[in-house]
Amino acid sequence: MIECPTCKHSEFVGTLHCSECGTQLVHTAPIGPGSDFLDLSEEIDTNEAPVLGPGLATGAIFGLRVMKTGDMVSLVGRENYTLGRATGSQAIVPDVDLDTYGAQDQGISRLHAEIRLDETGIHVVDLDSVNGTLINGKRIEPQEPKEIRNKDIIQLGGMQLQVISRIRG
Amino acid sequence: MTDELDYYTILGVPRNATEEDIRRAYRESALRLHPDKNEGPEATELFLQVNRAYELLSDQGQREKYDLELIEHEAKMIAKASFGAKVIQSRAKLLQLDEPQVHYLLVDIEPSQDLPEIRPPINLSIVIDRSTSMRGERLDHLRSATLNIMQGLNDGDSTSIVAFSDRAELIVSPDQAKDMAVARARLSQLQAGGGTEIAQGLRMGLGEIQRNFSREGINHLILLTDGRTYGDEDDCIQMADVSADQGIIIHGVGIGSDWSDRLLDDLASRTGGGVAFLDTPAAIEAVMEDIYEKLGRTAASRMRLEGSVAQQVDLRSAFRLLPEPMPMGDSLPMSLGNLPRDGIVRVLLEMVIHPIGKISELTLAHFTIDGDILGKGDESIPLPLEVRIPVSDEPDTEPPSEEITAALSQISLYRMQEKARHEAELGQSAQAARRLENLATQLLASGERELAKSALNEADRLAHSRRLSSEGEKVLKYGTRALMIPAKTGEGET
Repeated sequence: MIECPTCKHSEFVGTLHCSECGTQLVHTAPIGPGSDFLDLSEEIDTNEAPVLGPGLATGAIFGLRVMKTGDMVSLVGRENYTLGRATGSQAIVPDVDLDTYGAQDQGISRLHAEIRLDETGIHVVDLDSVNGTLINGKRIEPQEPKEIRNKDIIQLGGMQLQVISRIRG
Repeated sequence: MTDELDYYTILGVPRNATEEDIRRAYRESALRLHPDKNEGPEATELFLQVNRAYELLSDQGQREKYDLELIEHEAKMIAKASFGAKVIQSRAKLLQLDEPQVHYLLVDIEPSQDLPEIRPPINLSIVIDRSTSMRGERLDHLRSATLNIMQGLNDGDSTSIVAFSDRAELIVSPDQAKDMAVARARLSQLQAGGGTEIAQGLRMGLGEIQRNFSREGINHLILLTDGRTYGDEDDCIQMADVSADQGIIIHGVGIGSDWSDRLLDDLASRTGGGVAFLDTPAAIEAVMEDIYEKLGRTAASRMRLEGSVAQQVDLRSAFRLLPEPMPMGDSLPMSLGNLPRDGIVRVLLEMVIHPIGKISELTLAHFTIDGDILGKGDESIPLPLEVRIPVSDEPDTEPPSEEITAALSQISLYRMQEKARHEAELGQSAQAARRLENLATQLLASGERELAKSALNEADRLAHSRRLSSEGEKVLKYGTRALMIPAKTGEGET
């Protein structure tokens, strides 16, 4: 049997995609003979993936889901992203313009927060925004990186974003 | 078919079957086909063939001699076969293991010779649901879609239009379809009313196709419905199996969110057809035109994958990726539908290989690829296809080919959606919701934001109401299936 690195589900040798979570299993080595292929526990493990940065970006999935509209903002391929509103003719433009996702009148600053991805994990930093940043309802200190994990809710002003992070094969 | 018979396929046993397997298979077939129980001439002929097969294969000496003849015969067939096939395997060698392992085959089928430049005759029946819910826009678009098709008929074509509610009516006969004025007048009488009994419509539509059956062309039924049929599903499936044997393809078109997608999928997969899902009636004309236009570009019809897999091998699933994505059954023979002039038929087979002993090579399967090249006049020659793989105690370190991993990633998304729906139906809504979130992340990673959004919406719905919406079910099912259409890739938002 082989084990899916993401959800630990057991699959027959040679399987190319985990039947539980869809993770690609191309380079997974067998866990040895005599394993318990009859004991296919149907449990799925959706614990957050190990929090890893772009060093392991191959196959990593990371994005934010706008709670109100269900829109998805994909954040893959860079080490940091600034979130804010690109209003008017200002010089500094955020990487992710939240106006596209209905941020108007939500009390979001032009450069509100930053998402950083590195070896130590995924962090959010409040960039001295007027109305502040909350993680799972708790206000964070400005300019102090806070670790975030899969399913955490980040609140910028009045706008809620859910973290979606997973590592693929 | 050719004069030489493959007795293994006739008995439905692998080439490496033991004497006991052969005896058992013979007893089962003989009981099923015995002339005391069957009256048709085909059954009698099959019964005689089965007897001949058993006589030959149960005698060790005769069997050895036959095996050699068969190999020789197949070599000759390959040289002159009407089809060519390319098989890509997920691994270059299997592992000697005392546990089961999974192996995938990607089979590409194409014609092996120059094709006649013709548009084949099309024998078509359009079977329309006229139940009350079809009233208004849906029926209006349908009328204009069928008129469009009838405007493009060729001389050798035959088209009929059947409408059904709780009974069926022939609205436009093949003769009437040749006169546009008559067809138009007849169609204007098509009014909505009544329930939905698919078997009624299917029976009449298939009857029209059989009456005008074309060996030289395509025999095709398009079933359009927006509702559920109750109690006659088995009847429908039986008719689909008969159609598959006769070479008639059933193509489903579901409108809105309340039709039974599983039944339509089942009918289509048994006959080698496809299923389209329309969320708006405005798309009817375009979808019908697309189906009809593809029929005209068919090089070979009645494509079939026949034969058997080795004793140590189970066919776990089959998925046709091209020309139209469709999950197929897991048993042989398999109806693959039409082979397009400008394309291929591509099928992915998933096999479970049971513990294999110390052998150096395994013959996974003996397939035969059969079909009818249209417009050739003479009979097409089927292609025998033997699939072998070395077995080793060293694992294969080469990554599988890109084609196979790409195909499997797409199928894996489709399967997740199926599994989530199954779990939701079993009441395991938390598990189903988690799976849909997983699916959404995968979709997001491949840039399919709209579909990811639908998956998350359904996950939310599961948390609140413990059920999926019937529209969401179809959006996810046909949405993940559509990801496999090549033209579609790269078309997503950036």
